[in-house]
Amino acid sequence: MLLGIYDNPDATLNVTRSLKEKGYDVHDVYTPFAVHNLDRVLGVKRTRLSIAAFIFSMIGISTAITLIAYTGYFDWPINIGGKPYLHIPTYIPVTYELGILFTAFGMVACFFLVNRMFMGKNPDIMDIRVTDDRFVIAVNIHEGKTDLNDLSAIFKNGGALEVRERIVEP
Amino acid sequence: MSYESPIREALVTGGKTYSDVTREILHPMENKASKSWWLAFLFSALVLGVWLFYVCYTFWEGLGVWGLNRTVGWAFDITNFVFWVGIGHAGTLISAVLLLFRQKWRMSINRSAEAMTIFAVICAASFIIIHMGRPWMVYWPLPLPNAFGSLWINFNSALVWDVFAISTYFSVSLVFWYIGLIPDIATTRDRATGMRKHVYNFFSMGWNGSTRTWHRYEMVSLILAGISTPLVFSVHSIVSMDFATSIVPGWHTTIFPPYFVAGAIFSGFGMVLTLLVTGRVILKQENYITMGHLDAMCRIVMLTGTMVGLAYITEFFVAAYSGVQYEQYAFLNRAFGPYGWSYWIMMGCNLIAPQVFWTKWARSTPWFIFIMSIFVNIGMWFERFVIIVTSLHRDFLPSSWTMYTPTIVEVGILIGSFGLFFTLYFLFARFLPTINMAEVKSILPTHSTSEKGETVHG
Repeated sequence: MLLGIYDNPDATLNVTRSLKEKGYDVHDVYTPFAVHNLDRVLGVKRTRLSIAAFIFSMIGISTAITLIAYTGYFDWPINIGGKPYLHIPTYIPVTYELGILFTAFGMVACFFLVNRMFMGKNPDIMDIRVTDDRFVIAVNIHEGKTDLNDLSAIFKNGGALEVRERIVEP
Repeated sequence: MSYESPIREALVTGGKTYSDVTREILHPMENKASKSWWLAFLFSALVLGVWLFYVCYTFWEGLGVWGLNRTVGWAFDITNFVFWVGIGHAGTLISAVLLLFRQKWRMSINRSAEAMTIFAVICAASFIIIHMGRPWMVYWPLPLPNAFGSLWINFNSALVWDVFAISTYFSVSLVFWYIGLIPDIATTRDRATGMRKHVYNFFSMGWNGSTRTWHRYEMVSLILAGISTPLVFSVHSIVSMDFATSIVPGWHTTIFPPYFVAGAIFSGFGMVLTLLVTGRVILKQENYITMGHLDAMCRIVMLTGTMVGLAYITEFFVAAYSGVQYEQYAFLNRAFGPYGWSYWIMMGCNLIAPQVFWTKWARSTPWFIFIMSIFVNIGMWFERFVIIVTSLHRDFLPSSWTMYTPTIVEVGILIGSFGLFFTLYFLFARFLPTINMAEVKSILPTHSTSEKGETVHG
């Protein structure tokens, strides 16, 4: 794996674009903040977390309605101040809140799951400064296929501060 | 990376580079705590001790040590609860609503405002538990099948809605805050050594700044903002329904939900200003929290203060227009009765005082903003006191009319709750970055690095 290290998001974006155009296998780009358009240039597929969020909101809403209707109407209706047992308007607040609660927790759990993030995980850091002010483009090298000289030329011409190799354990 | 129109004022001043941002924001965390931090922290901890003492005293002796009586069954406890919940709303408003509106100035204040939300909701929730008097029965409002005869909780009750609203609000705010913190915890991790590195490593969840992760992260932030926005409006609406669904004159009004939400945002921004006007100087963050930020927040304070004032006047009008003599009496009693003074404190602090922010001078003078923000806090506390106590103390039966005076225990718990809030806040300022570094870096103009001749465009 060859790493090109930059200090500027524009240069990173431009180099990534030309690497993708020339058909290099760009592993990933590591940045200290979300660089807009970089995900599109890199060809990251639009995440399906929004669909997950919608599904979880539906689960939350149906859980709430089931809970309220079961406890207040089917299992043990209690007459409190003559209020109706099966009364949709008074279901709204709790349904609404549980919908939001399930969406937030479900979606965030999925987010951690797809990123394989968990508390205590040791990070696989390309360069320790990547969370500070450096941008790292990582390109996978395939034996015999990748033109290393051309690749490092692209890195250098794009304004790389440093180009180095990284051995990846298979 | 972001494009800013040249006619706009820069959101971050001082021509910072990315590493300047990291270094300066982490400075208070990476160095020994200053004397002023210790002083402030120990003082808050002392006040927290007062809180602890009076709360334990209340639990030991029972609610009889409070000034409540048969007519006024809610007073300081619920006033403090609504006050603290309201304070919390600004944090969610800043991070969620302003994110949806793409207001980039939110980026340097959202972290501390969200922290404020969480700590304020902790304070609010503590009052719910304290006012029960028997904290070991705190699980009773939860929908648990119980051993007392298969009874369930009453989902028609606004108080049960409140339990769901507050707990959802707290947990979702916490998740939102933590998600925002992960990249910054990773930054801290990569600069730390020894024990600190292990701790930050644990909480950074293996963050490595990958673009794929950032892509998902942005989507998650957007959706969390999207669901937090209705959440923030719903929470205070539900708090207002605790009152509005009753038949007490002065409470039984349909204007309450929007009126409470406006008041919550107003009081929350008051507290944000209190914290940031002082915090930016103490933590030397004037380049991140600029006068432009203070100006924008003062405008919001003025706007929401005027909305709240409009609601006060509308309430009065509706009471007069309704022809219901109980309503009419409740409002006349509120303004001119024995608690009239608190009504005029409320009016003065919430409607009249914020009008000074029409002038540019008032919006650009930090010490003056600080004084005004204290007025806002006082005014909003009295708003809840006015609503709760003046509506209750003269009810339908003149024979049960009475006055309410707080005891030292209630005052001690109120003052002590500020100790709880500030102790948590000072701990936060010591151990976590108070400004969202990743977001602030994304709004730095790119030329701040290219000016130094380091950039070559490829």
